[in-house]
Amino acid sequence: MAAVTITDVWKYYGKTVAVKELNLEIKNNEFMCILGPSGCGKSSTLRMLAGLEFISSGDVYFDDVRVNDLPPRDRDIAMVFENYALYPHKTVYENMANPLKLRRTPKQEIERRVRRAAEILEIDPLLHRKPVELSGGQKQRTAIGRAIVREPKVFLFDEPIAHLDAKLRSHMRGELKYLQRSLETTTVYVTHDQLEGMSMADRIAVMHEGVLQQLGTPEEIYNRPYNEFVAGFVGEPPMNFLDCTLERTNTGVSVVHSGFRLALTERQADLLEKGGAEADVRIGTRPDNLAIEPGADGALEVPGEVFVTEPLGGDMIVEVTVGSDRVMAKTKIGPMGGPGEPCRIGFDVDKVHVFDKTTGVAYF
Amino acid sequence: MASREIVRYRSPLRSVLQGLSILFLIFFFVWTVLPLLIMVVSSFKDLLDAFQLPEVGDFGGVGVMFDFKPTGAHYVELFTEKHFGVYLRNSLIASLGSAAVSVSLGSMAAYALSRAEFRGKRDLLFWIISTRMAPVVAVMVPLYVIFRSSGLVGTLPGLILAYTTFNLPFAIWILKGFFDNVPYAIEEAAQCDGCTRWQAFRLIIPLVAPGIAAFIVLCVLFGWNDFLFASIIGSGGAKTLPVATAELVQPVKIQWGMIMAAGVVTTVPMMFLGLLIRRYLVAGLTMGAVRE
Repeated sequence: MAAVTITDVWKYYGKTVAVKELNLEIKNNEFMCILGPSGCGKSSTLRMLAGLEFISSGDVYFDDVRVNDLPPRDRDIAMVFENYALYPHKTVYENMANPLKLRRTPKQEIERRVRRAAEILEIDPLLHRKPVELSGGQKQRTAIGRAIVREPKVFLFDEPIAHLDAKLRSHMRGELKYLQRSLETTTVYVTHDQLEGMSMADRIAVMHEGVLQQLGTPEEIYNRPYNEFVAGFVGEPPMNFLDCTLERTNTGVSVVHSGFRLALTERQADLLEKGGAEADVRIGTRPDNLAIEPGADGALEVPGEVFVTEPLGGDMIVEVTVGSDRVMAKTKIGPMGGPGEPCRIGFDVDKVHVFDKTTGVAYF
Repeated sequence: MASREIVRYRSPLRSVLQGLSILFLIFFFVWTVLPLLIMVVSSFKDLLDAFQLPEVGDFGGVGVMFDFKPTGAHYVELFTEKHFGVYLRNSLIASLGSAAVSVSLGSMAAYALSRAEFRGKRDLLFWIISTRMAPVVAVMVPLYVIFRSSGLVGTLPGLILAYTTFNLPFAIWILKGFFDNVPYAIEEAAQCDGCTRWQAFRLIIPLVAPGIAAFIVLCVLFGWNDFLFASIIGSGGAKTLPVATAELVQPVKIQWGMIMAAGVVTTVPMMFLGLLIRRYLVAGLTMGAVRE
């Protein structure tokens, strides 16, 4: 249990910069997710917190203690690795007991804590097995067990469930979140899977090319992305982006695309003026916020042409050609024309985002 | 896991090949096992019995070779008059000592070479193995001079050192390969658990046990079977079994019985070593707790 403060941290590998001037404050008992594509510097950040990599410059504090020069064992952290990193020659019990043994915990206490952790993780029947006899999910539980037998200041998770199959992964998301809430321990969770971040974290730090893009609650990240990268990285299917031009008339501001014209609200127009938007912009809208109906003569305002439909059981994703671009719309499953057939789509103007075309920064 | 069944279908060619391979195995068996058998049997014969051989081509007369009164006299003589107990001890100390030194130094060097990145690493690795490329004879004279001026000639530490110079490069190369196969993440996990670097290193030693076991065998064999170093650097105070055996060949009387007995004494410990270590060679090779 500790607050983690990262101030002006840089990480270089030779001349390559992995992390650029990172500032991040993780509150006590918070579940912080560092989210980003591979190579964005999220793992380097976590490994610097663990003490497995040197901090090139800047400082890391656990509460008021500067930990830059402390080896991992003196930082009082527990880490779960992407590839589990269990000790192959030790049983599940011995794997989980190791951190306690190294701290000279009395034998009965080790026994008690390991059993308790094993019960929480439902691996108590497996305590005498070796890692090679475990399934992926069981290995991963053992690795988590090794982390939770102690009461460390900080949990560090490095893509712990990335290698599990999809079903088990969604199960573990819930369990991990529950575990973190009940153990009340500061947690830093690194992942490239936006779904994990959205579903588990208190706050998400989105990183890209070593730079922190946005820090906020999942709701903020999803609904008010700071820039085009964050907007496109979070959400499944991803946000649609379209190159448009702004048209300012007496009655208001519209965005004009080769396939449609969209009048913006007054609030949006104000924000554009405040931001000093130029004529060329990019608009973004999530597939969930696009309405779609089959046929050429529906009530929705924009005509399009079905490119392909992807049924998902209850919902379906329809790719639609609009003007010179293609957009994805998510809707309830229902009749929809085959490829090439006409349809109509409608924008939810309130939920449209406009980005600067060169910097990618969102006006709203 | 998919089945690993090897599918074989009968064909005339396959039958012929099968016959040939059985024939080959018979020859191979005769070639490799018969000398050992003759050695063991002869070591229990007195000199007269030892030369009771059947006529050439008289396969029915093979029984003559086994028609003798067993005697342990050669063994008794070896250990009482020829001091083979001392030589056996010397051999054990020299080969096991060199193995121990090479394993402890070699595993640390191999670990460092496996984990650390530094400039000139490849060159260093090549240099290490290149010391094994010259034949022993080529370096014998300079080594002898060095050893003599250091007062190491004729001593067991000298012999251990000599074997180690040849075993260590080998140890580093073999063990580096084994350390390379141990994911670094395991040590990182150990450090997060609360290990120091040194404790983490010790923790993964069991994972390279098969490599260490294999290497101990090779290392002990090198020292145990060595004749050249033992006869030149170990001469006098640190005489080992091969040298002592060779000295049984005297100009006036070749003591066949004792030579055979000495051969048995030299062979048996290595067989036991093989049996002892076989378990470790196999165990652990399939341990995989880290997802690749």
